[in-house]
Amino acid sequence: MVMTKRPFFIWFVTPAVVLALFYMFGLASVLELSFRKFIPGSLEVGEWTFSNLEYVARPLFRAVFTDTALICLLTAAFTLLVGYPIAYALVRTKSSALRAAILIIAVTPLFTGEITRTYSWLVVMGNAGFVNAVLMGLGLVSKPVQLMFTKFAVVVVLVHFTLPIMIIILATALSQIDPAYEKAAQSLGAGPVRSFATVTLPLSGPGLIAGITTCFAWTFSAFATPQLIGGGQVNMIGNLVYQVGIASFNFPVAAVLSLAGVLFTMVLVGLMRLALSPLERIPTR
Amino acid sequence: MSRWLYAVAGSLCGLLIGASPGQAAEKLIVSSWGGDWRDMIAETIGKKFTETTGAEVEFITGGTIDRLNQAQLAAGSPESDITFTTAHVGWLYKTGGLYEPLDLSRIPNAANIFPEGKISDSHLGVWSYVYPIVYRKDLLPADVKFESWEDLWKPEYAGMVGLQDFDPSEIITVAAKLSGGDASNWEVGKQKLLDLKPNVKAYYSSDAASEQLISTGETPIQVMLSMMALHQMSQGVPLAVQIPKEGAVMGIDTVAIMKGTKNLELAYAFVNAALDPAVQAEIVRRKKGGPMVSGVEVEPEIADLPGVFMTAEEWKNGAIVIDPKLRSEKLSEWRTWFSENMMAQ
Repeated sequence: MVMTKRPFFIWFVTPAVVLALFYMFGLASVLELSFRKFIPGSLEVGEWTFSNLEYVARPLFRAVFTDTALICLLTAAFTLLVGYPIAYALVRTKSSALRAAILIIAVTPLFTGEITRTYSWLVVMGNAGFVNAVLMGLGLVSKPVQLMFTKFAVVVVLVHFTLPIMIIILATALSQIDPAYEKAAQSLGAGPVRSFATVTLPLSGPGLIAGITTCFAWTFSAFATPQLIGGGQVNMIGNLVYQVGIASFNFPVAAVLSLAGVLFTMVLVGLMRLALSPLERIPTR
Repeated sequence: MSRWLYAVAGSLCGLLIGASPGQAAEKLIVSSWGGDWRDMIAETIGKKFTETTGAEVEFITGGTIDRLNQAQLAAGSPESDITFTTAHVGWLYKTGGLYEPLDLSRIPNAANIFPEGKISDSHLGVWSYVYPIVYRKDLLPADVKFESWEDLWKPEYAGMVGLQDFDPSEIITVAAKLSGGDASNWEVGKQKLLDLKPNVKAYYSSDAASEQLISTGETPIQVMLSMMALHQMSQGVPLAVQIPKEGAVMGIDTVAIMKGTKNLELAYAFVNAALDPAVQAEIVRRKKGGPMVSGVEVEPEIADLPGVFMTAEEWKNGAIVIDPKLRSEKLSEWRTWFSENMMAQ
């Protein structure tokens, strides 16, 4: 006779279910608001309407959605390029002191808020900031290079912002890879680069996917960084929702843009996972 | 031993009774911006109010829009008794039924309020400021002048100007005025605004960002809140403040009593304290804003500061006043157009 037990641990998902329900109720409220008419000069909303949806098709909003996707993609890519070596060093170093130092340096940015970090970058990248002072001091340029209020500056700051997350995710994935595999490859004649490219990198595939999609999705909601570093010249979806919707008290438009942003994120992240899925299958070949 | 226990128990009971709510000091809850603004209100209006009534003031602080949203959610059972906000956002509170209509006979100090200060039957102006042209004297030629708003459009200022992004009311109204219109028919100034685009380097999202941009020289010319500019000058930043001949757009911050307050008497006393001439003088000295009542006396060097309008005559000659109700109705339209046409690349 087979004895079956009711799984006890199923009850641990109860808090998550409750939170999900609250989230769904919130989304439902936003959805309802997005189909209501805006009344200028009033906090109340009017009758049901589909007219708010036309905002999504306007050139400005299409451009901002496109820019947001591009900035998120670039941020995820550069965060991966910078974060992978740091995560590798963190996991593979034999020195516990060095490991602790790398971990502290990698994670410390998380201890400061987004606003504090962004203001610090204003000082670094301004016309009279650290970078231009060095460039001009070395005689490489004769006048300040315009770094602020550009997509480049926004991506740099966002990379700094998401780097700790990428490092933590990648370090977790890399720590699951048995160093014996690398040793085996090298004992069979593979050099360090080939061993990395053909053994370590493919085995870290799931971590790469998790890191890229997490950083991509997280960057989508960036607000303070593009607001301050972009100076109104570089806008992401969050800035648009704030400028056109919330700060104008046009909450129906803010709602429809927010929902469009959520759907857009889900579609893009889904496409990204699809594109990266071959990496997930490599370790099981 | 039992007598000792009875003594301790009796003392404890005495302490508990002494701390009962019925004997706690009366308290008025005020909603305002935080930081310097909160401190200024506490140390001027709040101080006068406490001296007069014996009641304490407690603050809820936050941004303009955040507090509006909170107030809307708490409608009927307000979290504060008094709210400070801008004049046009105050209209949103009023149309949302969040304000108590004011009985001016219960506010004796309102008898001398400037006409522009009577925003509605529910909220009154408590101080004013302007958005003039502010520039770095050390980063522009010594002979530069902004005698007219037209000077902001000069080609030599390409890539030097900073503007607000959270409320384009000022520059929209100025462009309309230069094009022969005003805030109500602002569309006449659309081309004028588009012509300004090459001169705009960045849009600042807050007063703090505005200060940061001009103090670092990123945007050496700004349309900037006069109070912030004068504060920066006091900190040593080499700025010049210029109100062009057409005038500068006026901003007014307001005070109101929340509907449903359980401290109506105290709330009226607070509003009356806010309009006390001596309190108004102290506000002018601290923040370099303009008073909202006549008969306020301050030192000449403060009264002469740009944007500090002490008399009705100065209001008439120097201020461009946008009707706050119109502003609250037009803001969304202005912001959408501004975002789509001025800020979009």
